[in-house]
Amino acid sequence: MRTLAPGMLLVTLLALLAPAGGAQGGPIKLGVPVPLSGGSAEAGQDILNGARLAVDQANAKGGILGRKIEIMSADDACDAQQGVTAAQKLVDAGVVAVVGGYCSSAALPESGVFHTAGVAFIADASTNPQLTEQGFDNVFRDIGRDDQQGPFAANVMVNDLHAHRIAIVHDNTVYAKGLAEATRTALADKPGVHVVFFDAITPGEKDFTATLTRIKSLKPDVLYFTGYYAEGGLMARQFKALHVPGVFMAGDANNDPTFIKEAGAAANGVLVTSAPLAQFLPSAKAYIAAYRAKYGHAPGPYSAYEYDAVNIAVAAIKRAHTTDRAAIIKAVAQTRDFKGITGIISFNDKGDRAGVNYMVLEIRGGKFTAHHAAA
Amino acid sequence: MDVALQQLVNGLTIGAFYALIALGYTMVYGIIRLINFAQGDLYSVGAFIGLSMLSLLAALHVRNALVLTFLGLVVSMAATGLLGVLIYRVAYRPLLRSPLSILISAIGASLTLEYSLFLIYSPSFLVYPSLFSTGGPALGGIVVSWMQVTIFLVSLGLMLALYALVHRTKLGLAMRALAINQDAARLMGIDVNRVIAATFFIGSALAAFGGVMTGLYYGQISFLMGFLAGLKAFTAAVLGGIGNIPGAMLGGFIVGIVESVAIGYISGRWKDVVTFAILIIILVVRPRGLLGERVVERM
Repeated sequence: MRTLAPGMLLVTLLALLAPAGGAQGGPIKLGVPVPLSGGSAEAGQDILNGARLAVDQANAKGGILGRKIEIMSADDACDAQQGVTAAQKLVDAGVVAVVGGYCSSAALPESGVFHTAGVAFIADASTNPQLTEQGFDNVFRDIGRDDQQGPFAANVMVNDLHAHRIAIVHDNTVYAKGLAEATRTALADKPGVHVVFFDAITPGEKDFTATLTRIKSLKPDVLYFTGYYAEGGLMARQFKALHVPGVFMAGDANNDPTFIKEAGAAANGVLVTSAPLAQFLPSAKAYIAAYRAKYGHAPGPYSAYEYDAVNIAVAAIKRAHTTDRAAIIKAVAQTRDFKGITGIISFNDKGDRAGVNYMVLEIRGGKFTAHHAAA
Repeated sequence: MDVALQQLVNGLTIGAFYALIALGYTMVYGIIRLINFAQGDLYSVGAFIGLSMLSLLAALHVRNALVLTFLGLVVSMAATGLLGVLIYRVAYRPLLRSPLSILISAIGASLTLEYSLFLIYSPSFLVYPSLFSTGGPALGGIVVSWMQVTIFLVSLGLMLALYALVHRTKLGLAMRALAINQDAARLMGIDVNRVIAATFFIGSALAAFGGVMTGLYYGQISFLMGFLAGLKAFTAAVLGGIGNIPGAMLGGFIVGIVESVAIGYISGRWKDVVTFAILIIILVVRPRGLLGERVVERM
């Protein structure tokens, strides 16, 4: 107990010092919380790369308000607890706005920390509806919501794949469960369609044959996996090995190239519902080239959305003409018709992106290709 | 019927991995009464060393899948075995007489291994090359790959060999003597440290075998893979009767099968709840595990 008082004092001191530090002449700090360890580290690193690229380009043009911009990253490991620590670390370091995140299970608790601290948080990949439903005025996202992706996936299954028997597998994380439930709800309205299986696997495990054996006995037309690619790739592989009938379809946390590496030959023919990837967006051509030149590999699924999020923040700080956190939140909220590389971006009252698109990716020859609807 | 048999096959496959790790737990416990928490992580280390070896051989243009697997296994088992001995020498031997401190040391060893893999290899997971096809014997509606058959048979063979080693050789005799009374064994002229080191080597090498096979069979390894697997394997060892070699095997297979059945007939979400509830019931009825503790109680 004796150590508590000085500890508290230190935290308070830091909290007092940090915003003051941000207002002085040094670089303007933007916080990027992403998973840099654990199953989703690859995706997190790509997002961080996208943020760095955007900041480098902005700095090359002179920065904002005559000051350089600096990215400060924090590893949230897709974990709620570690996410809160990461968020607090960013807040204490005096970031003026936060752009990033990957897993909703980390982004949701982080959004609470950012709300308390009064920092704008623009999410680039967190799709759980709850994120923008908390009544927080500081939370935004330039990606769709799972209650938009779920109905889209349901339509693909029914209209394009003519499926009647559908199995849905999630992994009990906030994002995966949310998307699974949104899809089940959307399927409930379709005549002649049955969700024959709805259950979870445990993230971090490697053997899903017991679940798949049960699904096989239910003879599904489609299996929709809404978890992350670390398990998705393994599951696609075991799905083929066990000769489960039907199409393996997965949610947008499986649009990572690592999925294909993991699933090997079994990846062929897998469908993935996703926000449009950079390679399918004509407006992102220059971005892909710049990313490749800097990092030597493809930009991953969400770095383009992060790139836009950073640029939205930069534009907002320019408009606000100050690094005051509250003024930045106001300026971000006023974002209308921003010309991003992922399209035109406007935020609605909740902080969601207006008019989002989805597409179906099909894995062919070890690559994500655009799936063309049969009908 | 096909579904039930398929679940049995699934369970036996997972169970083989649990059993391989459980053997290390049980041997070390049997001899020095230590729950070696690093056991699960030695399994991860084995998988990573195996991957390094496979990558090295691939760079040397070795293409034959069997040669690759054999060399990967041998090198990984030897290196991981030596690492197990090193951990014993550095972290456990100085603390043999203080049971609580040695337990903390074991937790420390576990975390050290996990985060060394994190720093040396990757914070994310790594993908093994796929060397073998998924083909297998035709058994009607049941899908079994040759790989699964091999894993099952080789694991069983290793466990039988281990049993024979403990019960038919001089080293085994020394191990059993040590388990009963360390001081008396020392007075009889047994080199206690050498025997304990041999035990750690064997337990670690078996875990490494499981690790490399995990990589080859599932295709994905990560620095934390040993945590969950180690926990299940520890459960398996206790279930079978810790200190008891056939018990560890039996425990491993039972945990694997119970998990598969729980997923197949109840729910994946409730799998761990169901599995552990069943295990608790078994342990309430048989507190010393299914086959009982083999080691003679001290005092």
